[in-house]
Amino acid sequence: MARSIAEINDRIRRGKAVVVTAAEMKPIVAGKGAAAAARDVDVVTTGTFSPMCSSALLINLGHSTPRMKIRKAWLNGVPAHAGLAAVDLLLGATELHEEDPDNRVYPGAFRYGGGHVIEDLVRGRDVELRALGYGTDCYPRRELRTLVGLSDLNTASLLDPRNCCQNYNVAVNMGSRTIYTYMGVLRPGPGNANYCSAGGLSPLLNDPFYRTIGIGTRVFVGGAAGFVVGPGTQHSPCEPRTGKGVPTGGAGTLSLTADLRRMSPEFVRGVSVTGYGVSLALGIGIPIPILDEELAASTGVGEEEILAPVIDYSRDYPGNRAEPMCHVTYAQLRSGWIEVGGKRVRTAPLSSLSGAARVAAALRRMILEGSFELTNPVEKLPGAESGIEPRPLRIRL
Amino acid sequence: MILTFPGSLVDKPVVSRAIRLFGIEFNILRASVTPSEEGRILAIVSSGGEEGIEASLDYFRQAGVGVVLPVRNLVWNEDKCISCGACTGHCPSGALALDGGTAEVVFTAGKCIACELCIPACGYGAVESVEGLLDRTGGSRWPGR
Repeated sequence: MARSIAEINDRIRRGKAVVVTAAEMKPIVAGKGAAAAARDVDVVTTGTFSPMCSSALLINLGHSTPRMKIRKAWLNGVPAHAGLAAVDLLLGATELHEEDPDNRVYPGAFRYGGGHVIEDLVRGRDVELRALGYGTDCYPRRELRTLVGLSDLNTASLLDPRNCCQNYNVAVNMGSRTIYTYMGVLRPGPGNANYCSAGGLSPLLNDPFYRTIGIGTRVFVGGAAGFVVGPGTQHSPCEPRTGKGVPTGGAGTLSLTADLRRMSPEFVRGVSVTGYGVSLALGIGIPIPILDEELAASTGVGEEEILAPVIDYSRDYPGNRAEPMCHVTYAQLRSGWIEVGGKRVRTAPLSSLSGAARVAAALRRMILEGSFELTNPVEKLPGAESGIEPRPLRIRL
Repeated sequence: MILTFPGSLVDKPVVSRAIRLFGIEFNILRASVTPSEEGRILAIVSSGGEEGIEASLDYFRQAGVGVVLPVRNLVWNEDKCISCGACTGHCPSGALALDGGTAEVVFTAGKCIACELCIPACGYGAVESVEGLLDRTGGSRWPGR
């Protein structure tokens, strides 16, 4: 049996579509098999809610009188990149406040940065814009200080070069002192293990070969409808995979865009990572049209079938020789304990499972009420046959 | 308890009115007005009976005063928690734990031993020390305001 996306959209419009979350799909596939699940279910919604460092906000301020070509700019004291057109600014999620003491008092608290500015704007708060220019005949103004809120901006788009990693590392610390990483606080011993994936709810783990998620796919970003721009940076589709095609390492990533003005603070949060920096936590959801039995099977994949690599963040990760110490399943990670080198280690997630479930449920609601149509990708993402593999940097000087 | 007064209430006699209305005894340990014209008071309410204390808390909230009741030296800001669970790998007493059903982080105040290991583990300011809250300015974490 096979159905097209046009047929699914038609069923949604007629109120006939069966839409379930990925969490609900697992028992359906386990219970009646993939063939019957494919007959009964039209769409499976996925979700993830976790820090996504490679995110940025592109804004257009509108022109002041007299006009100004901005050379340097700060939003609530956080520098924004102004090397674009006169009043276009790009604010990175991990940009620190100008006066942040970073790690000079170790471990730094990183209280405020780009991710927090983005959250403040989504919450409807005004932020302070400061800007400097050098003055030209056409753009004579040299200084600017004012408040701006989301409704003052002509454009406010998230432009995220890399979100939604297909799978992710489990971080442990094999060294002798506590370390502060982007994977959280890691005690020696290893004293704890942190993981960061929505596991069975994660978008790309439910469509492991990128059959329906491609360039142009409509996706849920922070509560708004956005789009896949292309493969994300470090997209690595040729990672080893299990028999069911699930990659056992980072693998695929997505570049996304969406309108910040339609987002909700429920799914957009600034993050302060002790000893590391700031970031932005985003809720992202992707609907997977069940075109055939194979997609029903892949959305039915259980957490006991998805493997994550355990990596040492004391020496191996910083030394860029990240050979996994072992692999563990998400079912083991969720149980609260895994075994690493013969030692029982406590696990904790950095990716919110309940947040991911809320994203998948919100997306399901939007589809059923007709405000979120499914799309055919304009073009496929590079897949497992592409040979694409991110290379390390060769230092030549 | 920690009371946070918005700028519009800083010059109003809210506390003395509560003392008069509900007969509570109020011992102020620390008080400040920040540059953004926001006031914070850390105080122990030592008597007034459970009813009087509850009524005074309602009175504060209705007047627009933020009321936070710390657990030992910790403040649990539930609205900031995204339930990632990062804290649960550090909490030795199980006071912060993931609910097996909802996957949400649950804070059980009675189990908290105030070790503060959760504070650096939380990226969202959901657990905060009393000192951290008293030093914080404004609703946003922007240090400039």
